Amino acid sequence: MTDQLKALYQSVILHHNKEPVGYEKRPEAGMIIEAYNPICGDRFNLYLNIVEGQLEDIHFHGFGCAISKASTSILIKHLKGKSIEEVKQLVAAYFKTVNGEAEDAPEDFAAFAAAKAFPGRMKCATLSWDELNEYLKSVS
Amino acid sequence: MLEPDNIRKDFPVFREHPDLIYFDNAATTQKPQVVIDAITEFYTHFNANIHRGVYDIAAKATERYEAVRGKVANFIGAPSAKNIVYTSGTTASINLVAQSFLGAQLKAGDEVIISQMEHHANLIPWQMICKAKGATLKVMPIDREGAIDLGTLRVSLSKRTKLIALTHVSNTFGRINPIREVIKIAHQKNIPVLVDGAQSVAHFDIDVSDLDADFFVFSGHKLFGPTGIGILYAKEEHLNAMQPIVFGGDMIKNVSFEKSSFLSAPQCFEAGTTNIAGVIGLGAAIDYLSQYDKKEIKAYLKELREYALSRLQEIKGFSLVGSEEHSSAIISFVIDGVHPHDIATILGAHQIAIRAGNHCTQPLMDFLELPGTSRMSFSIYNLKSEVDRAIEIMQEIHDLMFGA
Ligand SMILES: Cc1ncc(COP(=O)(O)O)c(C=O)c1O
Repeated sequence: MTDQLKALYQSVILHHNKEPVGYEKRPEAGMIIEAYNPICGDRFNLYLNIVEGQLEDIHFHGFGCAISKASTSILIKHLKGKSIEEVKQLVAAYFKTVNGEAEDAPEDFAAFAAAKAFPGRMKCATLSWDELNEYLKSVS
Repeated sequence: MLEPDNIRKDFPVFREHPDLIYFDNAATTQKPQVVIDAITEFYTHFNANIHRGVYDIAAKATERYEAVRGKVANFIGAPSAKNIVYTSGTTASINLVAQSFLGAQLKAGDEVIISQMEHHANLIPWQMICKAKGATLKVMPIDREGAIDLGTLRVSLSKRTKLIALTHVSNTFGRINPIREVIKIAHQKNIPVLVDGAQSVAHFDIDVSDLDADFFVFSGHKLFGPTGIGILYAKEEHLNAMQPIVFGGDMIKNVSFEKSSFLSAPQCFEAGTTNIAGVIGLGAAIDYLSQYDKKEIKAYLKELREYALSRLQEIKGFSLVGSEEHSSAIISFVIDGVHPHDIATILGAHQIAIRAGNHCTQPLMDFLELPGTSRMSFSIYNLKSEVDRAIEIMQEIHDLMFGA
């Protein structure tokens, strides 16, 4: 295996792919966001409950590659229980980190910067984050 | 016997990338030097616009351009060069038939039949024209191995059926359709058939007259030719029933501000300056391909597919999508627990090009209840040793993804 591959499929990503955080269908959630990539067919539902400006609960379910699944799992892990303001800051920090712009961000964000070396795989790292970001923009 | 080791030497991409293992031939094939040279020769020695110039190089360009029409006709067994329309590719050819042939005659309540395995290019043009005319698009079901049911087809035909459009070979899993039988059944009720030959034309001996196909379409870039050039073959009676849909120069007889009259087919479907270099490149590609016996090509690719299939069975969690038999040089598969894109990325990092996704057949994926597959597709320059190398990497995937 090449070094670039090892960087992409490092333990953080493989671990979250195998044991994703908050991987559960919650059809009764207050808000359901679909993250769908028509090019590869990856599709996740994000189940959100926002109460008084707090992201009280968030789960996800669906199908995707190791990168998109792990990146969604990391999203759940970091955003659950945060205020909408904090969520926005974390989303911005995630995009910066993935783009390789050094940022004071949670350590496990950095794993996804390796996707940059693989043409066509950046979208996998940002799929759910992009959709969540769109939603946040639409409500503020 | 085909000599793939020698054939490789005709393709400069393998000289530039000695480690490249190219298993994405269903998407597009690599180009032999003779095709590249033919295009360069055109631009270097006789670049001119066709059909208009009276000077030497314009005459030569026109002559070469028109000569390829005859070459294509010969290559697919068409009665005449007049049956050959140049388009930009399979997609453009199908859209032309949908708008020009069906557009003129389709009425509310009429039906067009396609199969469940069609490429989006052989689905959406029919869907759009049906919608515009209030007609119905009917879909021939297939089973999980990709077989269509001729009995079902037979009973679903009626006076309202205006066309059947079917792929010769599925680009997704390589299934070969019984087009000869389909055409026979359709013709008993005078229904024309369009055959999408995008995936068959490089590997099979095609004789449109013998098949009695009404329309046969393909792209140059899947048979070693350049991109942006494709062919529509149509029977003369159908060409005569078709109206031009793109208007402009090079397709007219007489023009005034009040009215214009058009050339006859095929010229009336080739408005504007066409892809002259593409046509010349396609001619060179057909010459290149014609030096090999199609029977040998078919036999070699069958052997390669069977070999690859037997080796792939060694991979933990492997399952084939489609049928072991009745298939051309395409293998579609899934590996339990590993997403197709992860497989393609890992192979790609080792210079092995395969494709992952829905292969422009989203309704087929929905039917198979798969979000996507990994697809290996072979050509005459592929080797068993390349298959071995891919297997070697794939055996490591499980360890990488799940730990040794
Ligand atoms: C069966 C089939 N039909 C149609 C097409 C579309 O061909 P093109 O993109 O060259 O127009 C393809 C190519 O992907 C194909 O495999």
